[in-house]
Amino acid sequence: MPQLNPEFFVSQLFWLAVFFTFLFVFLWRVSLPRIATVLERRQNKIDENLSSAKELQEQAMEIEKKINDQINKTKLETDEKIKETINALQENVSSQLSSLDKDLEKKVSDAEKEILKSKDDQMKNINNEIVNITKLTVGKITDIELSDNELNKVIETHKGNFN
Amino acid sequence: MAAKDSPLKQFEIDPISNIELGGYNISFTNSSFAMLITVLVITLFLTLTVNTRSIIPSRMQLISELMYNFIAQLLSDTVGDNGKRYFPFVFSLFMFVLIGNMVGMIPYQFTFTSHIIVTFALAAVVFIGVTILGFINHGIKFFTFFYIPGVPFYMHPLLIPIEVISYLSRPISLSVRLFANMLAGHTLLKVFAGFVVSMPFFTGVFPLAFIVALTGLEILIAFLQAYVFAILTCLYINDAYHLH
Repeated sequence: MPQLNPEFFVSQLFWLAVFFTFLFVFLWRVSLPRIATVLERRQNKIDENLSSAKELQEQAMEIEKKINDQINKTKLETDEKIKETINALQENVSSQLSSLDKDLEKKVSDAEKEILKSKDDQMKNINNEIVNITKLTVGKITDIELSDNELNKVIETHKGNFN
Repeated sequence: MAAKDSPLKQFEIDPISNIELGGYNISFTNSSFAMLITVLVITLFLTLTVNTRSIIPSRMQLISELMYNFIAQLLSDTVGDNGKRYFPFVFSLFMFVLIGNMVGMIPYQFTFTSHIIVTFALAAVVFIGVTILGFINHGIKFFTFFYIPGVPFYMHPLLIPIEVISYLSRPISLSVRLFANMLAGHTLLKVFAGFVVSMPFFTGVFPLAFIVALTGLEILIAFLQAYVFAILTCLYINDAYHLH
């Protein structure tokens, strides 16, 4: 078996020591720090991105809160305005209604007065007619000339009967 | 066994250039060449893929990062926070064994992890390092590592020698595990490759199909053994911190 031939033992050990030492020192001093730097930088970048994402999320939440506040505030203001407008309109309507009522009442009372007046006039006319008719009738039947005053008196006393 | 067709011939070491230093033969061989390629592949790959240092990695950069995270996770799972300072060593060890095994899977390419002297040297570095670490952390108390609490006192004369032997055999088991796996796998591939040629007519396709399947298995084993080497190193480091 060539492995047990000691002829090249020293040579193998020598070159192993040379190459392995070189490899070890090279990896230790050059390659591994490089990879470590890359990994570290990546981790830092990830952490950075995560923290900035968190920050942005917080900002977004703040803005959302502000928007909600604004919406609520606006809602309240609008409600207030609607209420005010309704009240103003109602007042307006009721005042107009009351003035219309007043007008109507006045018109009604005026009409009533006119009616009463015309009724009185008619009654006076009726009385005169009654006096005239009575005067004529009595004159034709009896030839007695009755004065208006006497006739009026009689009619006044009997008025209750034909009313 | 005819040396020309031996399945073990692939493990023979051929010097590429003969070098001698202080009376020792330190020739640059095919084994050294495989190590050189391994080291080049690892350093170039890990350096060039991460060259742009992109936050969003390319596919190649992602592979480097996955390897990094794989070993970092392994170390933090087994050793915890103490393990961070040994990360470069464990990572180098893992990559060296892994790429060494993978380079060995290239046809006609030498597999240096199939040499016991290489794997034993790596295991010995781990063993000696961990033992020194244990004494640094616990001083003389490190010997209580061999004392198992909660066992009847009359068992100790038996258990303490067993513990000592098992501790001392760590580098052997660690190195032989890797070496034997590589040796067996490559020998088997070579044996079946011989069948492909020697079997008559078209029947050679059966061992060929077997080789294809076995190559997949060998790649899995190449990864698995590197992983086992790394995780056992982690466990030994953990033992140096936490006695029973």
